Amino acid sequence: MITATNTQWKRTMLHSARAVVIALIIVFVLFPIFWMATTAFKQRIDMFVLPPQWIFKPTLDNFRYILSTMPVGRWVLNSSVISLGTMALSLLLGVPAGYAFSRVHFRGKGILLTFILLTRALPPVVIVLPFRVIMQGLGLFGTRTAVILIDTVYDAAFTAWLMSGMFESIPVDIEDAALIDGCSPVQAFWKIILPLSKPGLVTASLFTFILSWNDFLFALTLTSPSTATLPIGMLSTYGILNQGWTYMMALGCLAIVPVVFISLLLQRYYVSGLTFGGVK
Amino acid sequence: MISSVREYFNTGKRSLYLFIIPITLYLIFFFLYPVLYEIYISFFDYSLGSPKTFVGLQNYVLMARDEQFLHSLITTVIFVVSAVSAELALGLGTALLLNYESRIMDIIRTVILIPTVFTPLVAGLVWKALYNPDLGVISYYLRLLGIPIGRGLTVERSTALFSVILVDIWEWTPLIVIIILAGLKSLPKEPYEAGAIDGASSSQLFRYVTLPLLRPTIIVAVLIRAMDALKIFDIIWAITGGGPGTATTVANLRIFQVGVQQLRIGYASTLSNVLLVMSVLVGVFFIHVLYSKKYGGIR
Repeated sequence: MITATNTQWKRTMLHSARAVVIALIIVFVLFPIFWMATTAFKQRIDMFVLPPQWIFKPTLDNFRYILSTMPVGRWVLNSSVISLGTMALSLLLGVPAGYAFSRVHFRGKGILLTFILLTRALPPVVIVLPFRVIMQGLGLFGTRTAVILIDTVYDAAFTAWLMSGMFESIPVDIEDAALIDGCSPVQAFWKIILPLSKPGLVTASLFTFILSWNDFLFALTLTSPSTATLPIGMLSTYGILNQGWTYMMALGCLAIVPVVFISLLLQRYYVSGLTFGGVK
Repeated sequence: MISSVREYFNTGKRSLYLFIIPITLYLIFFFLYPVLYEIYISFFDYSLGSPKTFVGLQNYVLMARDEQFLHSLITTVIFVVSAVSAELALGLGTALLLNYESRIMDIIRTVILIPTVFTPLVAGLVWKALYNPDLGVISYYLRLLGIPIGRGLTVERSTALFSVILVDIWEWTPLIVIIILAGLKSLPKEPYEAGAIDGASSSQLFRYVTLPLLRPTIIVAVLIRAMDALKIFDIIWAITGGGPGTATTVANLRIFQVGVQQLRIGYASTLSNVLLVMSVLVGVFFIHVLYSKKYGGIR
């Protein structure tokens, strides 16, 4: 009897301990996010109060201020154009390459794959210096195109790798059957294989968009004030005394909300991209 | 008449090029060429706006005596090793805690993904405010608990590096959790049943069954994180800017200072080469693991 209650008691304790640890992890994960979201809606008098007030009178003043005094619309537009441009160019380059990788052996395949995977390891600082010189030579320095071009190096390679895994999971017999039925190989790819690869295409689109949206270093070194993205724009709140944090966090919310929203909506695809195609 | 895709690719070579040539040209022009140019320019004294002068190995000799840069390399290694090992330990622990099927666990697994989507610069700015020595919430609570933080975690030399590592842990441990959870899900059941029959305890099962089976998953997770940690820039730039002094100046930051701020492009390229070699080594090992049966390669 005594031992039975003992084990039961032990198990209850273990379960409670687990719950407490999980709760602590969640607090650690959510606390900075919560602080950012609340600060964005705080007034100056509430912002500096310590201990922090979690219950306060929310205000939209910070959003009104940043929208009326800063070119937020332009930053959002620049971020969107760069992210969508990178996404489109990466799919255009990466998807066909992934298909060829999954279907045939050709000379130089190993070298090409090695280069594609090596992009993942390349620190942005290493490539951005020569890239800047090259962009200056092409007259593209300070344009959104320059950022799209350098983001695409990473994102097209990522897409090619991800899609080759996707295509490998589709049996080659499907195309062969289509060919016998009179399809041309390009038709078979376009009309049969691509529709079957929707999960991979969603993952690639989502992830290339997010990678580009979250970029800071390339935008910092390659854009000019008129082509600045949201993260670059956030830096301009640095100089504002007193109310700086609330404006900064309001901008931060604008930067975060779209990517958090779409990645949670498309969670399965997001996870697949996050793990480099390891989790399908 | 062509009746198979392989045959098509093998005979109609032209259409194969259609699939491969665009990305090949792209990578040659925007990846290989910049990297080769960077290696080439590292032998020149070249600052933006002034003419190039060939100086041979002079930049490399300079680098070997550049204590600031050598120190930044050490800081980089400390950053990568401590961040990744902490993330692995915490990630493994968290994954084991969350490895249960229930509605609440689904929600928790979703919630912990949020930091990984965060724009790193925004994450850095948020944490910078939290760490603020006078007005930051973290400083406030630590002082309240009686923990001595001096002038502030990010301001004291002894804790600055730790404080940026903590942010990296916050943002990227979830990645390890997700990878390991996927690994745990795909483990076979038989070894556990056999182990249970033989009377193995749960800690023995973990040590002798789970860990060895998870090894390939763990290696891939660690290498992905190591490659990305070697690229660290945004978070440190936002929180400490490399300071106090040079306490958090990793190699990326030092190269940025020399190349983008001082515009000494030749010398910055020399420094970049060291980082390039380091990341290529990790990258090559990563590729080896992806394709190697020994590590349970995923391809």
